[in-house]
Amino acid sequence: MKSRLEHQPLLQEVKEIVSQCDRCGTCLTVCPLYGIKDIESSSARGKNNIARGILAGVVEADHEALKAINFCLLCRTCIDSCPNKVKTDDAMIAVRQFFADKNGSPGIKYQALGSLMKNRKLVKLSAGALQLMRGMRLNHLVPHGMAPREFTRKQYLAAFAGPAILGSIPGRSPLKRSLTGKVAYFKGCGMQMLFPDAVQESIRILSTASSVQLVNNGCCGLPQLAHGLRNDFLEMAKETIALFEQTDIIVSDCASCSGTLKHVAAYFAGDPAWRERAAVFSAKVMGISEYLFEVGYQPRNQSQALITFHEPCHLGRGQGIKNQPRELLKATGNFVEMAGANSCCGGAGSFHIDYPDVSKQILAKKQQNIEASHANLVVSECPTCLVQLNKAAANSGGKFKVMHISQVL
Amino acid sequence: MITEAVKKLIRDCVGPENVLESSIDRFGYSYDSSFIPMAKEHIPELVVLPSTTEEVAKVMAIAHQYAIPVTPRGTASGRTGGCIPVAGGLSLALTRMTKVLELDERNMMVTAEAGVRTIDIYHTCAQKGLFFPPDPASWKYSTIGGNIGENAGGMRAVKYGVTSNYVMGLEVVLADGTVLHTGGKAIKNVTGYNLTQLFTGSEGTLGIITKVLLRLIPMPKARNTLQLMFGSLDNACNTIHQMLMSGLVPAAAELMDKISLQAVARHRKLDISPDIEACVVLEIDGDTQADLLKQAERISAIAHSLQVIEVRIAQSAQEVDEIWAIRRGLSSAIGAMAPNRFGEDISVPRDAFPKAVRLIRDIGKKYHLTIAVYGHAGDGNIHPSILCDLSKEGEEEVVHRAVDEIFDAALSVGGTLSGEHGIGLTKRPYIAKALGHPGISTLKAVKQALDPKGILNPGKIWE
Ligand SMILES: Cc1cc2nc3c(=O)[nH]c(=O)nc-3n(C[C@H](O)[C@H](O)[C@H](O)COP(=O)(O)OP(=O)(O)OC[C@H]3O[C@@H](n4cnc5c(N)ncnc54)[C@H](O)[C@@H]3O)c2cc1C
Ligand code: SF4
Ligand code: SF4
Repeated sequence: MKSRLEHQPLLQEVKEIVSQCDRCGTCLTVCPLYGIKDIESSSARGKNNIARGILAGVVEADHEALKAINFCLLCRTCIDSCPNKVKTDDAMIAVRQFFADKNGSPGIKYQALGSLMKNRKLVKLSAGALQLMRGMRLNHLVPHGMAPREFTRKQYLAAFAGPAILGSIPGRSPLKRSLTGKVAYFKGCGMQMLFPDAVQESIRILSTASSVQLVNNGCCGLPQLAHGLRNDFLEMAKETIALFEQTDIIVSDCASCSGTLKHVAAYFAGDPAWRERAAVFSAKVMGISEYLFEVGYQPRNQSQALITFHEPCHLGRGQGIKNQPRELLKATGNFVEMAGANSCCGGAGSFHIDYPDVSKQILAKKQQNIEASHANLVVSECPTCLVQLNKAAANSGGKFKVMHISQVL
Repeated sequence: MITEAVKKLIRDCVGPENVLESSIDRFGYSYDSSFIPMAKEHIPELVVLPSTTEEVAKVMAIAHQYAIPVTPRGTASGRTGGCIPVAGGLSLALTRMTKVLELDERNMMVTAEAGVRTIDIYHTCAQKGLFFPPDPASWKYSTIGGNIGENAGGMRAVKYGVTSNYVMGLEVVLADGTVLHTGGKAIKNVTGYNLTQLFTGSEGTLGIITKVLLRLIPMPKARNTLQLMFGSLDNACNTIHQMLMSGLVPAAAELMDKISLQAVARHRKLDISPDIEACVVLEIDGDTQADLLKQAERISAIAHSLQVIEVRIAQSAQEVDEIWAIRRGLSSAIGAMAPNRFGEDISVPRDAFPKAVRLIRDIGKKYHLTIAVYGHAGDGNIHPSILCDLSKEGEEEVVHRAVDEIFDAALSVGGTLSGEHGIGLTKRPYIAKALGHPGISTLKAVKQALDPKGILNPGKIWE
C-alpha cells in the first residue's frame, strides 16, 4: 500500500534515510533512551520505522506519532553502531519539519523558544535573559536549576591553580603553527545566556593565538532546525553566512553551534544561489578545542585538579572531535578518562526540559561515571551539557565542579 | 477483539507499566527484520512485557480462556516474520526477562531467562573460561529465547553445531498456562520423548520458552582467523572440502561470492580486486599458538594447490576484527545495495554447495536479477540475496518466480528450505514441497495436541 505522502519532498528525504534501516536491532543495545524506557518506539529502529509507517500509510501522522518522533536526543549513538549508518537524527529532524508544515506550526512551545533564540537583542541581554523569559511567561521552559551558578575561572584558580606553564601569565602561547588569517568568535546563545565567564575566557584564549574578531552574530539555528522551523533556520543561516564572509576561520566554543554551522553547507546543497557561499562558510568553522589543538595551544596553567572530560554528542560523534580536547586537557597535567565519556548526558537541546524524568535518569548514569573517575572537575564544550553536569554536581553534593574547557586551558 | 474487561485482567497480572496500549507503541511490535512489508493488520491489540514465568503463565491462562492469539517475541531480529502478530491479539515480548540465573561451572551449564541476549550468555560464560559456541551474526541483540525459537545457527556451526546442540532443558509455558519443565542436567536422558528438542525450533507455535538450560564447553585456548581469496568459486569450495576430509575442522568456514564482496567493498570503502570470485574466511582454534600455526600452514598448502590468489593470516586481534567485520557487515551491506532485498536461507549437503551456487547464478541470469550469494560453506547453508526494486512494474512477480526456483534448486540437490532462519511467514508456501504430506500432517498433529485452540503464533510455518 502506498500513500500520497510518499511524494512530499520532505518525506522523500526521510524515505531515503529510513529505507536504509534493515530493522536488525543493533541500535536497541546502545540508544540511551531505550536504555531507560525499553519499548520499541524509544529506539532508533522504532522511530525510523514509525517514519516508514507514515510513508506507507500504516501509521497515522498524528500527535502520538509526533510525540514519538520528538522523543530523540539526536545524540547519534545509534549511528555509531548501526551497520547501515542510518542517519536517524536527520530523519527525525525532517519528520518533525513535516509535522510542523502539516500543522502550520511546530507547536506553541517550540515556536516560542525558536523566536526567543532568533531574537538577537533578547539573547544579548545575557544576564537578564532568563529573567526576560520569565517576563514573557516562558518560565515554564526554564525549570528550576537550568540557570546554574557558574564556577568561574577566578574561583577555579583560587581552588586548583598549579604553577603557570612556562612561567607565563596569560599571554601569547608558543604556537606550533598559526592558522593564518582572520579568526572570528561565534558567540552562541546558550553560552552567552548561561556561561558568560566561559565566553570571556574563550575570547581571551583565542586572543593569545590571533586577533579575534567579535561579530554580532545571531543564533546558529539548531533549536529551530531541530523542531520544525527549517525556514527560520535557513533564513538565519543566510544572515550568518553573510556576516562571516570576511573572516577565514570561525571558532565556536559550543559543540552544537560548531556542529550545526558545519552542517549549513549540506542544507544549501540544492540551492544554486547559496551552495557555494554555504560550502565556503561551513569549511571555515571549527570547534574551540579543535582549533586550539590545531594551533598547538599550551594551557596557561598546570592544574592541581583531577580533570575528566564529558564529550558532547555534537562534538565527538557529530564532528569527530575526540582526541583534541583530551590532549589539551592532558597538557594541564592531571587528566583522567571516565567510563562512558561519550555517552549522552540527557541534555540534548530542550530534551531535558521536555522530558525531565528521562533526562534525570540518563544524567544519573553520567554522574555515577564521573564520581567513579574521582575527578574533581568535569569539563565540557557545550552549554546544554554544562547545565546538565551542573545538576549532576549538585546531586552529588559537590563531589566535583563543572567548567567549560576554555576556563581551564 | 480483546474486550476492555480482559485487558484489565491482563493489566492486573503484569502491572500496567508492562502493557502497551497506545497505537504508536503497539505498532513497534508489528514487524521484524524480514522483508515482509509493514501492515495495519500486523499491529497487535496489546503488547505484554512480562518479567516472570508466573506472569507469563497467568497471561497464557487468560489468553487460553478467551481464545486470544499470542505471538511470542524476542528482539524481532528474525528474518522470516516469526514474531509478526498476523492474527492480532497479544504480542508477548520476553525482553524484560533478562536474568542469567545460574552458571554451574562443575557441570558446565548455564541457566538463563529467555530474554537474555546471546552475547550476554557468551560473556558471562567466557569470564569463567566456558564457551557457548552458537553465534548467529545477530548475537549482539538477538535473545536466547529467539535463538531457541528458530534453532539459530552461526558461523561456528561447522565445528560446534547449532543452538539445539546445546539446549539441555527448557521451562515452557504451554498454551493453557501450564508450566512445563523439560530435560535437565543429566547428560544422558531418555526419559520419554525428547520434548526439549521438540520445542527447539518450534518458532513460538508450541509454547512460550521462559527459561533455558544450556550446555557449555571449555573455551578454546587459542584462536586465529584466515582470509583466502580465490579466482574461482569451485576452488574455494574444494579447499574447504579437502580441509574437512583431511581432518582439519575449522571453527567457522564462511564463503562470499563476488557480488557480496563488492557490496562490502562499497559499503566499507575497501578496495577488492575484481579478479576475486570468492573469499573464504576461516576461524581456527586449538590449544596452543604452535597448534594454530600448524593448522594455518596445512590450510595454506591445500589452498595453494587450488590456485588461491591470496592467503592472509591475521597477525593481531585487530586484524581478526577487521576480517570478521567484513563478514558480519555483509548482510547489511547487501541490503543497502537495492531498495528491496529478499534474503533466503537454503541449506544443502556440503558437497552440493558449488552446484547450488551455480544453479542460483543461472536463475539470476534467467530473470535478470542480481543475486548475491554468501553462506556458511562449511555446513552447506547458503544465503542467496535477491536485490530488487519492488516499486518497478512486474518486479515482484519475477522475484517470486526466482525464489520458487531457488527453493526447487535446493531440493533438487538434496537440500532444504531453511538452515537457520526458520519458516515463519516467508517460507510457508514451500513447506509442503519440502516435507511432503506425511511430514506436514505430523507437524499438525503435534500442534493440535499442544495447542488445541490454535492460539500460539497462529499463521506460522504452514498456511
Ligand atoms: C543482521 C542479522 C543477521 C542474522 N544472522 C543470523 C545467523 O547468523 N544465524 C541465524 O540463525 N539467524 C540469524 N539472524 C536471524 C535472527 O537473528 C535469529 O533468528 C534469532 O534467533 C532471532 O532472535 P530474536 O530474539 O530476535 O527473536 P524474534 O525474531 O523476536 O523471534 C523469532 C521467533 O522465535 C519466537 N520466539 C521468540 N522468543 C520466544 C520465546 N521466548 N519462546 C517461544 N518462542 C519465541 C518468535 O515467535 C518467532 O517465531 C540474523 C538476523 C539479522 C537481522
Ligand atoms: S541499527 Fe540501523 S539498521 Fe539496525 S535497526 Fe537500528 S537503525 Fe535500523
Ligand atoms: S539519536 Fe540517540 S536518542 Fe535518538 S535514536 Fe539515536 S541513539 Fe536514540
